Amino acid sequence: MSPKSISHRLTRIGLHVVLLTVGLLFMAPFIWSISTSLKPLSDLFQVRPSLIPSEIRWANYSDVFDTAPFVRFYANSIVVTIARTVGQVVIASLAAFAFSQLKFPGRDALFFVLLAGLMVPDQVLIVPRFIIMRELGWFDTYQGLIVPLLFSSFGVFLLRQYFLGIPRDFHEAAKLEGANPFQVYWDIYLPLAKPALAAFGFLTMLNSWNELLWALTVTNSANMQVLPVGIALFQGQFFTNTGILLAAANMATFPLLIAFLFFQKQLVEGVALSGLK
Amino acid sequence: MSVVELTSTTRHRRRSFRPNRQARNEAKWGYLLIAPMMIGFAIFFLIALGASLLLSLTTWDMLSSPVWVGFDNYLNVVRDAEFRNALGNTVAIAVPNVVLRLVFSLALALALNSNIRFRAFYRVLFFMPVLTMPVAIGTIWKWLYDPAFGPINGALGRLGLPRPEWLSDPKTAVIAVVVVLLWSSVGYDMIIFLAGLQAIPRDYYDAAALDGAGSWQRFRDITVPLLTPTTFFLSVIGVIFSLQVFDLVYVMTRIDQSNQLPTVVYYIYEEGFRNFRMGYAITVAWFLLAIILVFTLIQFRLQRRWVNYT
Repeated sequence: MSPKSISHRLTRIGLHVVLLTVGLLFMAPFIWSISTSLKPLSDLFQVRPSLIPSEIRWANYSDVFDTAPFVRFYANSIVVTIARTVGQVVIASLAAFAFSQLKFPGRDALFFVLLAGLMVPDQVLIVPRFIIMRELGWFDTYQGLIVPLLFSSFGVFLLRQYFLGIPRDFHEAAKLEGANPFQVYWDIYLPLAKPALAAFGFLTMLNSWNELLWALTVTNSANMQVLPVGIALFQGQFFTNTGILLAAANMATFPLLIAFLFFQKQLVEGVALSGLK
Repeated sequence: MSVVELTSTTRHRRRSFRPNRQARNEAKWGYLLIAPMMIGFAIFFLIALGASLLLSLTTWDMLSSPVWVGFDNYLNVVRDAEFRNALGNTVAIAVPNVVLRLVFSLALALALNSNIRFRAFYRVLFFMPVLTMPVAIGTIWKWLYDPAFGPINGALGRLGLPRPEWLSDPKTAVIAVVVVLLWSSVGYDMIIFLAGLQAIPRDYYDAAALDGAGSWQRFRDITVPLLTPTTFFLSVIGVIFSLQVFDLVYVMTRIDQSNQLPTVVYYIYEEGFRNFRMGYAITVAWFLLAIILVFTLIQFRLQRRWVNYT
């Protein structure tokens, strides 16, 4: 073996050592969270806690359901996330199709107004939205959790870019066959835009599952709380045992992380494609 | 201009002003398909924005009707020591966060950009925290930082080092939050940097190698300048994102109902939904918007000095 290829191999091994060390540091909080969630109460009051539990206590996980209305939080999170994701994808893709493929007076001006919306952070709008919810009688309801977050300017922008890249010939051919614009959208553009729709859909799902500020603002009864609110709010109140609290946090996050392992290629490409989380 | 020309242009114009049935039909569909988006946007964005501007000129506790106070809220925010504290905390988190994120994520992206084995595995490893619910992240790290029984102080104790109070002391809390924010966002920047690195044509490196450029030289003269647009993009959105930190400080530094490290968004939330000072909370939000705009404008101004668009 030539000296050059030896040094090449050595740098490669060194690189793996560095990456594995950093990777382990990255995983450490997850590992600690899993280990702590399996510890009996007595293990939690050690000045030098050990990573390995003195005994594995699976009951911490079932205790979560006895200490808080966790099933309700979970169900709320699933309902709200599905509704927001489907709603955002449908509403944004319809608008994106019209803005990219159809001609109508005022089109560009309206699109520009939507784009301007991207620049205003939600915090400026959160108090007025809260007031609108109260006026509509939507405070502490599913509508209140879902409807105000259905309208994504970013989604329209992203999907419009994607639709613009689809050759217009498809559209013209379908028009000649007598298809109306909705049929063109449904039968041609949606199937062709699957990668962009999947990326946008997954990002929406993720943001919606993790969202705290709006959910905290628009709900107040335990029945309407979603997972982030439930876990944040009940820290001192319900979960005085850190093992049970971390079991709840783990159950709230790991389903999505496991889904990510299956979709990681599409998601990573989606992030790179859209440039935004 | 001759008469003939004139009539022909008016006739042409008339035709374009009265669209045929097909164009009218297309326009009808256009409005129909954008209607859901535009109606929602009008209510939850435009009306909300208008209401936000008006309400910032009032004081309102949500019980009695709003009282017009002109620009008093704006003047009060400027003089408000709590707001200044929140702003100071926010900037103290945002600036180191953005700088360290860029450095670490570029290093990781460079390491993964070589055709090293298990790339996908490492990529997943570094990206996992990005996907994790911030509330869960805060919950986990709050335990890691626990001064009496947490693993971090446990390890420091083993090494014979001092065991800080971490989250209950604002000075150490800033460090703690920056670390957590870094951990949870480096993977995202890394993915964007990787995409940027992959867009650099291989020929550039081959040509430079032929000219005898070493690997450091290639990095400095090819990689760094060609990545400047990506770096610029990441630093702009990184600043915007980290000036809006809320979830982490809501979970981590709120101890017995008082926050040791309130950020601007936390302050908006507290003023609006805890103290029911709606007009004032909105005014603070407008200040936040202005601060974000100033930071972004400064970055766009400085852009010309260092960003390289080819």
